[in-house]
Amino acid sequence: MRYRRPGLDIASHALLILALIAFCLPVWLAITAATHDQASLYTGTAPLWFGSEGLDNFRAVLTEPVGRLGTDVTRLLLNSTVMALGIALGKIAIAILAAYAIVFFRFPLRRLCFWLIFITLMLPVEVRIMPTYRVAADLGLLNSYVGLILPLIASATATFLFRQFYLTVPPELLEAARVDGAGPWRFLRDILLPLSTTNIAALFVIMFLYGWNQYLWPLLITTESDHMTIVVSLKRLLSSADNLVPWQTVMATALLAMLPPVAVIVLMQRYFVKGLVDAEK
Amino acid sequence: MATLRLSALRKTYPNGFTALHGADLEIADGELIVVVGPSGCGKSTLLRMLAGLESISDGELVIDDRRVNELEPAQRDVAMVFQNYALYPHMSVADNMGYALKNRRVPKAERRRKVEETARLIGLEDLLDRRPKQLSGGQRQRVAMGRAIVREPRVFLFDEPLSNLDAKLRVQMRLEIRRLQKRLGVTAVYVTHDQVEAMTLADRLVVMNGGRIEQVGTPMHLYERPASRFVAGFIGSPAMNVLDARLEGDSLTLPCGTRLASPVPSPGEAKTVCLGIRPEHLSVVPEGDAIDGDLSVRVELVEPLGADTLVHARLEGQDDPVVARVDGIRAVAEGDSLALRPDAGRLHLFDPETGQRLDPLEPECQHSTFPA
Repeated sequence: MRYRRPGLDIASHALLILALIAFCLPVWLAITAATHDQASLYTGTAPLWFGSEGLDNFRAVLTEPVGRLGTDVTRLLLNSTVMALGIALGKIAIAILAAYAIVFFRFPLRRLCFWLIFITLMLPVEVRIMPTYRVAADLGLLNSYVGLILPLIASATATFLFRQFYLTVPPELLEAARVDGAGPWRFLRDILLPLSTTNIAALFVIMFLYGWNQYLWPLLITTESDHMTIVVSLKRLLSSADNLVPWQTVMATALLAMLPPVAVIVLMQRYFVKGLVDAEK
Repeated sequence: MATLRLSALRKTYPNGFTALHGADLEIADGELIVVVGPSGCGKSTLLRMLAGLESISDGELVIDDRRVNELEPAQRDVAMVFQNYALYPHMSVADNMGYALKNRRVPKAERRRKVEETARLIGLEDLLDRRPKQLSGGQRQRVAMGRAIVREPRVFLFDEPLSNLDAKLRVQMRLEIRRLQKRLGVTAVYVTHDQVEAMTLADRLVVMNGGRIEQVGTPMHLYERPASRFVAGFIGSPAMNVLDARLEGDSLTLPCGTRLASPVPSPGEAKTVCLGIRPEHLSVVPEGDAIDGDLSVRVELVEPLGADTLVHARLEGQDDPVVARVDGIRAVAEGDSLALRPDAGRLHLFDPETGQRLDPLEPECQHSTFPA
C-alpha cells in the first residue's frame, strides 16, 4: 500500500536527505581532510573542500612506514585481509560441515551436539578472552596469522543458519541423489553447495566485516607491527600523547581501511541478488 | 531387466510402528506391477524398501538371485521417479539426466550421447539446456522419467509419479509410461492410490491395506474375483454395493424379503453374509416385468455421466443406498420406484467378520506367481 500525497512526499524526501547528509558528511570530511597538509588542518576550521596535497597522503601511507606504527598501511591492509578472509572462509567451511553433519547424518548424541554448538552463541570472544589468550600464548600463536584467525574461526550463528537452510531442502533431493549413486561428499559438493550459494555469499559478507572489524583480539595477540591489523593501528595512530595528531594521515588510513569491506559488499551483492532471482519458486 | 523376489519383507520403525507386516511377492522380468491402496497402507514404504531408501527390518529382498537387503540404493541398480520429481534445481535438464552416469564415471562423450538418445525417446531434445524451474509440470515429469531411463536400470520404481499433473496430462503420461516400459522391457514397480491408473497400467496389481498385501493378480482378475471386501470396494468405480443378506442352503435372503440364488451353496446352518454386487451388474427392469429376485428400490439421486447414468436408490433394510450404473439414455427420475435385476453370475459373497471371499479362489491367484 502506498500513499500518494504531495505533502507526505516532500516531508519524507526532506527526512531522507537529512539522514543522507548526516551519514555522508563524516565521510566527505574524511575525504577532504586526507588531501590537506597538517598545517591547514590545524587552522581551527574543518576544510570542506580538497586541499593541496592531492593523493600524496595516500601514496605516503601506502609506501612509507607511518609515524609510530613502524610499518606501512599496505602491510596492515594485507594483515587485515588475511585475517578477515581466514575468519570468513573458515567460519563458512566449518559451519557448512557442522550443519551438514547435524542435519543429514544420524549419529548418537546428535541433538546434544547441536545444542552444545548453539550454546556457544552465548560465549563471545570477549567472555572467554583470558583463557583463549592463555591457550594461544601456550601454543606459540602470538604474532601470527594463525593466532589471529583460529580462535574466531568457529561460528554457531553460521552453523545455525546453514542448519535452517538445509532443513528446507526437500528430502527427496537427497534420496534422488542416493539413487543416482552420489555419496555424502558428492551430495554436498554437487547438490547442497550449489544450492547454498546465496547463503554463502550473504554469510561471507557478514563474516568478512566481522573479521575486518575485530579489535580486542588482534590488540591482545599482536605486539609486533608485522602482524598488526589496520583497525587496531588506526586507534594507535590517534593516541600520540606528545605531539599533534597527524589528521591527514589518520584520514587517509581510515579511508583505505574502509575500501576492502566496501569492495566485498559491492562484489558479493551481485551474487546474492542473482541467488535471490535464481532461487526456486 | 530383472526379476524381484520379496520374502516376508517387514518394516518396523524404531518407535514400534509396523508399516509392513511381511510382504511376499515375485515379480517377473519386464513385468509392470502396480501397488495400490489407500494412504497409509504401506505401499510407499514398500517401494522405498525396494529402492534401499528404507532399511529392511526382516525378510529378504532378492533382485536377480542376489540378496540386496544391505546394498545402497545405487548398488541395487534401481531408478526411482519421485512424486515431486526431485529434480536438482541448479542443474540443466541434461545434467539432471546425466548425473547418475557422471557418478558412475561414464566418459563425457558417452554420457552426452546417452542423454541425447533418451531425450529423443521422450521428446525432450529441445529442452536439454533448460533449468527445471523453466519447465512445465508435464515436462518436469518427463525429465524425471528420462533421468530414470538414461541409466538403463534393472528396475524402475515409480512413487505416484502422476499425482501432481492435471487430469488430461495424467491420462497422456499414463499411456506414455506404459508404452515406454513395454518398449524398454524394464521391470517396474509403480505405486499409486488412483485405481484407474492402477487398472490401466498394471500387468499385475497388488492391493495393499493396513501394511498387508490383500490380493495380487491381473486387473481383470481382481475386478472379477476380489479376494476380500476391501479389494472389492477398492477396485472398480463406483464401488461395489455391499448388502447384508442371510445365506441358507443355496438361497440368499435380503432384509427386504427378496430371495436370490446363492453362487456359493452353504450346506450348514443359516448365516449372515455380505453380498457384493457391482453397480454395472444391476440392470433396470421395466415395471411390471419384475420377477422374483429383483430388487425393488426407490430412486434417491441420479447422476448422468453421459455414456452411463448412476442411479442411487434406497433398498429397504439397507443403510447405504444401492448404486446402479445404467444406460445413459434411460429416463430415470428421482423419486421413481423401479426394479433392479442383479446379474446372477456376478454376485460376490464375503464373510462379514473377516471380509474374506466365501467361495475359494482359483489356486493361481491365491499366491503371486505370474501366469506365464
